[in-house]
Amino acid sequence: MTRRPDLLLGGIPVARRFGLVNWLGLATFFRREMSRNFKIWKITLAAPAIRAILFASVFGLAIDQDSTLIGNLPFMAFLIPGLVAVAALERAFESSAFSIVYDKVEGIFGDLAVLPLTPGELVLGFSAAAVSGSLIVSAVVWAALLPFGGSLPQNPLAMVFFVSVGSLMVGLFSQISGLWARKWDYITSVQTFVFLPFVFFSGVFFSLDALPDFLLPVARANPVFYIVDGIRFSLTGQAEVSPLFGALICVAVTAFLWGVSYRLFSVGYRMKS
Amino acid sequence: MTEVAENQGPGVPNEGMQGVPTPSVRQFGCVNWRGLWTLYHREVKRFFKVFTQTLAAPVVTTLLFYTIFTVALQNRVGTVGSVPFAEFLAPGLIMMTILQNSFANTASSMMTSKIQGNIVDVLMPPISPLEMLCGFLGGGVTRGFIVGISATAAMSVLVDFPFHNIGAILFFSLTASVMLALLGMVGGIWAEKFDHMAAITNFVIVPMSFLSGTFYSIHRLPELWQTVAQFNPFFYAIDGFRYGFIGQGDAPFWLGASVMIGVNILLFLFVHQMLVSGYKLKS
Repeated sequence: MTRRPDLLLGGIPVARRFGLVNWLGLATFFRREMSRNFKIWKITLAAPAIRAILFASVFGLAIDQDSTLIGNLPFMAFLIPGLVAVAALERAFESSAFSIVYDKVEGIFGDLAVLPLTPGELVLGFSAAAVSGSLIVSAVVWAALLPFGGSLPQNPLAMVFFVSVGSLMVGLFSQISGLWARKWDYITSVQTFVFLPFVFFSGVFFSLDALPDFLLPVARANPVFYIVDGIRFSLTGQAEVSPLFGALICVAVTAFLWGVSYRLFSVGYRMKS
Repeated sequence: MTEVAENQGPGVPNEGMQGVPTPSVRQFGCVNWRGLWTLYHREVKRFFKVFTQTLAAPVVTTLLFYTIFTVALQNRVGTVGSVPFAEFLAPGLIMMTILQNSFANTASSMMTSKIQGNIVDVLMPPISPLEMLCGFLGGGVTRGFIVGISATAAMSVLVDFPFHNIGAILFFSLTASVMLALLGMVGGIWAEKFDHMAAITNFVIVPMSFLSGTFYSIHRLPELWQTVAQFNPFFYAIDGFRYGFIGQGDAPFWLGASVMIGVNILLFLFVHQMLVSGYKLKS
């Protein structure tokens, strides 16, 4: 029995009323997603930091750092923004998809369809959790890499923008993959065979100039490249393409993926079956 | 009686008293070969069922690592010792995936059985702790080998391996996958939740396989860490395996081989003792 007077009509409970957006529902849903992600914070926060440190040490040991420049940057200064980007995007990918597939395997995913949440609110809730998670993880990883030659962002606002738009893009892709997946191995396949190659060939570890000429246009068609390049621009001031152009591409791809995800939630694709 | 039962096999009723058929117990010698085979078979089928996750994914990840490291570093590193960087890197990466997959197989099998509660299905049947150990171990080693062979096949398209000493390659892949499958069992028995397991993988196994000379010769490490590496069995596994491919290693062959054998014997006895005592399994 509720004690809130607005939910009682002559002592009988009635449905809560809300306006255009069910803010309470949205906030609750967001909270669930966040606590799900960070309940195992050792895995969601410490593991990416350790992995980034491992990559930094391994690359650092394998090369002579002093003599290696990429563009105008020492190798480590070039690598660190890439590692921050990878950690942020991995978190975004794992956030929504893993949550959706977990519910599907447990057989409770259909519950989302009967909540008083519109498809738009579901997309927003999943996306907000993915972006918040990625912002936290990227801050942690960035801090963990400071001893390896990290630096304060040259352009903090651009940093927040590129991490947010990048993780929003990947978060939406993750929602779509989660809806499509029926079981765990579907989603791990998407992760290994689609997501990982996109990320690894986005210029995280090397400048795209290092690729053979004929591959350059292919690599430039990878939207993740613009995220990584934007994050590198924000941290170091060096970029391969104009950051503004990169931002436009990111926004356009994100808008498209939002539309797709919204559509899938609206029709209840592999959700209301 | 024994003869009759063996001839007829399990489940076939014997003629009991007054012609009433009663099922008899299957008899076997000092090793329950059929039980062992069944457990091994289950372990192998378990990972084959999700082969995209357990076999294809590791191979693809290894190739991705190979590509990014060679593209990023080839022109900057040149040669390690007397071999080109790519040739140095490839065996290290193959060994890394063998290590990680042998570990993952026994660890996740043990873990899943415990969480789902069907570990009793392995504890109840008439198999001894030793047979149980060998069954799980066999599954882990098999996955390590399949992943290792597939990764080697895929890599040999990109790298021209000299295959200096096949014997060393086989010896070190076997001992390394046994070692990690045993460690996987220790982890699987000890861990109580999936995030314990993920923590062991992320904070112990991955760092150990990354930092033990997969990507660089340990001569590049500071003095102190070179000494530490000499006490790290992962280093001997990677180094000996690489020696088999390129004929060049940081540690003498016999030293690596004896370390691997010694560590494996100790781990084997340790896990056997765990299973005999029923630690965290029989509560």
